[in-house]
Amino acid sequence: MSRTRPLLAPLLLRPFREDRGRFVLTVAGIAVGVATMAAILLANASVLSSFTATVDVVAGKAGLTVLADGPGIPEETLERLAWLRMKGVAIVPAVSVTVALAGGEGDVLELLGIDPVTDPSVRDYRFVAETADETSLEKLFGVFRAGAVLVPAPLAERLGLGPGAELGVLSGGAAHRLRVAGVLRMEGAARAAAGSVLFADLATAQEVLGREGFLDRIDLVLPAGLADADRTALEASVRDSLPPGVTVGRPERRTETVDRMVRSFRVNLTALGLVAFLVGTYFVYNTLSISVLRRRSDIGTVRALGASARSVFLVFLAEGAALGALGGALGVALGALLARVALAAVGGTATDFYLPQAAPVFTLAPSALATSFLAGLGTSILSALAPAVEAAQVEPASTLRHGSVEASRRRAVGPLALGGVAALALAALATRPGPVDGLPLFGFASVFLVIAGVSLLAPLAVVTVARLADGPAVRLLGVEARIARANLTGSLSRTAVAVAALSMGISMMVAVAFMVGSFRATVVDWVSQTLKADLFVAPESGRSQRALGRLPEEAIRLVEAVPGVASVDPFLSFEATRDGAPYTIGSGRFDLVAAHGDLPMADGSDTREVLARALARGEAVVSEPYSVKFGVKAGDTVTLPALDGPVALRVAGVYRDYSNDRGTVTIDRALFRRLFRMDGAGSLAVRLEPGVAPEEARRRLLSAAEGRFALRVQTNAVLREAALALFDRTFAVTWALEAVAIAVAVLGVFSTLLALVLERRREIALLRVLGASAARVARAVRLEAAALSSLGVVLGVAAGAAMGIVLVHVVNRQSFGWTIRTDVPWLFLAGALALVLLATLAAASRPARLAASTDPAAVLKEE
Amino acid sequence: MGARVEVVEVRKSWGAGGSGGDGAVAEALAGVSFVLDPGEFVALLGPSGCGKSTLLHLLGGLDRPSSGRVIVDGSDLARLSEADRDLYRRRTAATVFQLFNLLPTMTALENVALPLLLDGVPASEADGRAERLLGEVGLAAKSGSFPWQLSGGQMQRVAVARALVASPALLLADEPTGSLDSRSGAQVLDLIAELASARGVTVLLATHSDEAARRASRTLRLRDGLLER
Repeated sequence: MSRTRPLLAPLLLRPFREDRGRFVLTVAGIAVGVATMAAILLANASVLSSFTATVDVVAGKAGLTVLADGPGIPEETLERLAWLRMKGVAIVPAVSVTVALAGGEGDVLELLGIDPVTDPSVRDYRFVAETADETSLEKLFGVFRAGAVLVPAPLAERLGLGPGAELGVLSGGAAHRLRVAGVLRMEGAARAAAGSVLFADLATAQEVLGREGFLDRIDLVLPAGLADADRTALEASVRDSLPPGVTVGRPERRTETVDRMVRSFRVNLTALGLVAFLVGTYFVYNTLSISVLRRRSDIGTVRALGASARSVFLVFLAEGAALGALGGALGVALGALLARVALAAVGGTATDFYLPQAAPVFTLAPSALATSFLAGLGTSILSALAPAVEAAQVEPASTLRHGSVEASRRRAVGPLALGGVAALALAALATRPGPVDGLPLFGFASVFLVIAGVSLLAPLAVVTVARLADGPAVRLLGVEARIARANLTGSLSRTAVAVAALSMGISMMVAVAFMVGSFRATVVDWVSQTLKADLFVAPESGRSQRALGRLPEEAIRLVEAVPGVASVDPFLSFEATRDGAPYTIGSGRFDLVAAHGDLPMADGSDTREVLARALARGEAVVSEPYSVKFGVKAGDTVTLPALDGPVALRVAGVYRDYSNDRGTVTIDRALFRRLFRMDGAGSLAVRLEPGVAPEEARRRLLSAAEGRFALRVQTNAVLREAALALFDRTFAVTWALEAVAIAVAVLGVFSTLLALVLERRREIALLRVLGASAARVARAVRLEAAALSSLGVVLGVAAGAAMGIVLVHVVNRQSFGWTIRTDVPWLFLAGALALVLLATLAAASRPARLAASTDPAAVLKEE
Repeated sequence: MGARVEVVEVRKSWGAGGSGGDGAVAEALAGVSFVLDPGEFVALLGPSGCGKSTLLHLLGGLDRPSSGRVIVDGSDLARLSEADRDLYRRRTAATVFQLFNLLPTMTALENVALPLLLDGVPASEADGRAERLLGEVGLAAKSGSFPWQLSGGQMQRVAVARALVASPALLLADEPTGSLDSRSGAQVLDLIAELASARGVTVLLATHSDEAARRASRTLRLRDGLLER
């Protein structure tokens, strides 16, 4: 390196000072890629670590945890496990319920119901201003009083609550008054849900939850020094003592379940983030190529002065590394900022969809930061390799004969194109296999193979189009067309790469437009078929998008009694697990669904018929995601974890559902109540008598509930709007990513043209000598831009359509189990593509001006 | 018909920090006057750095003198508009350089046809005329070759063909044989002499070889920016 150092200043630093614009652009290009990746990784890490932290805190010192596959753990289970006490095992029951704070901004909190006697053996409680441990236990017993809660200090401070203060929480449409019995230090159990947690007695929590006699978990604290074999044996004996629908396992398994839930979301976002990266890589390659080009004679000179080819190579590699490090550092900082903002929007959606928990806390995960920084640095160095080799090959004091170098590259056109065809063939094959461990890995491989295939075909496309278009173009547009054509094919290594990069950006945009457009059209369609009721009623849930808790039966009766209400279909569900994978068991009134037919079946069969049959025979219907995920079809059976033992039901049909990608088994309400001994409703679909105005009915309903139930009542129009708004918010980040990819690709066309003009000063001078006017030289550059961008658009649209089909029919289906009808947003696409063409033409104006201002006499004198 | 060229007291100097020459030469041309009669073949001799190229650039309408006048067929080049100078280069004055005469990304035929296309001649006609001229310089078989597939002598013959394809009145040759071996050099010079005299084109051949100068009807010697008497 000591021999390389003297070269750094003349070859790198000084030129950069003179060429600040391009330097800034390159660093920004890398930073965008790194930032995108960092943001995705950080947001995910934050969501997951918030959840894991809560799981760890709640599990505390438990060695085994009993959880329910079905709707809950009957309290009698505690008696069945009583024998464990003889073995020195502590048995600690708990109930957890998500509530919204009444008033204020409707903050969402976890309410954990505990048994003050046994709980300290598994979780730690430390009170603010306590003196000795006994007082701590005494204070904990204060929770025994009905409606008493313990509050972590930061939450108490935020809400201005001291001991004895009152607070109201909402769950299941009921307001509950709670009283602060003590303030906890922010350690031990208080750290659950990042401190957005309340602790109450089991009975209090069960009352808030509206579900007496059921527990959510039983933690088992094993005696110290238990051998692994004994623990396994103990686990087996516990399993034998448990009632149906209740399982035992290590506490970690909950985290794994959640990880599985957010995984599809994460993988999909990461795949999109990779595109931003590809484009950034191209940027480094292009910038360094221009650097080598501009400094060719300088390199020749330092070589003549005795610098080795190796030192020159290292200098340019170092340049790539420096750009990568700088862009990486900037990108990581930008990504952290982005993640913080996105967590509120995207992370919030993901949380609402996937995690039964309060908002995640932003964590600066070092591994996420390091991964994205190193990825930026690595790809920068990789993309610096080719230009560095080119620099090292500059002969001492060389005069370049560019043509022959390009000629050798042109021989590669055929083999590259063959590789491209092979990649496309593989892409087609990769659509055949199913998902790998629930992830559409082959689908993503197919998408990237399409990108690779089209990129490899770009040189052939440039050469072929140039050859075919030359004659007509010259006749139509004059000699500038021939000059442009000659430049495009003469610098294939640059122009083909620019076309490939542009087509990559465009193909992603087209593919995403294709996918999101189709998805949106499908959802709009589905919403209009399913959301047919006039009013939708749910418990008031503050900030949460989900409905918290269950409305009691009285609330349902109250709604039914409101004048103008024709029918009420209560929807009631809970989360269950099948082979460790979460899914939903739901219920509704099949008689009403059969009458209205508002549950479209996946295979197009008649909903009324299927539901009427299911109701008569006691059968289930399953959602399409459930059918795809677990491979269950109409005619198969599903086994549900009923309280009195597993119940096998025949599947009457598969219905379309885009609201839940975990999958749902839906049965009639009466059957549901019998199997799971659960009543009330998560939400109500209300139909009105003909002629009753929804707004009026809504007012009547709210005033009827006044003082008894806190309800969220939405009219059909409002709910539909909210559903689509949620959809659009979820995909907003996708569009932002694609916009970045396109912008960077357009900038790529700009820098390629700039490189061509710089490289061809001598040729431009020659053209001027031959009598070409400055305007015509500029026109040739614009024609080059037009040709580059049209080729990029054509290839990009072709690739994008192929990728869109793979995304819709393979990736989406495999990761979410959704069938999406193809619906291309033509108008949007046409507008976007026109914008790309205009942008590239605008980007051509500076290179064109540069070409026009070339002074032939000055260039000729340089020799 | 060849051009009549009148060079009157032409001076060309570069401002401080100008990019040309070594800094010591403040004045490339220090008052040069001469006349070229139509159809004349004149050699311009002198060592490198004496101002030959500068003079040719002025005659070629690529640059303007600091003072003095260059009059070709009665019109003062310095007074022409940019558009007219472009036209002048397309129709009146053609140049052959020592190196890099050809556009590397175009075939020999496309290179030769380029001046015609620039002048608005339809592509088919331009290609036909270019083909004929390539035949005249003995390279009909190479019309589809790219410059890097040709030898140095062949490249210069293509350059000569391109210089003459638009029937110019003035041919400016700047050391056209400077980087060729003597046999190829002689071939190229023969071509220039033969084709130019057949068309009556006025030729100014800048060279430092006496051998080349012998083909000219007259010789001008330039030294330190001044013509020697």
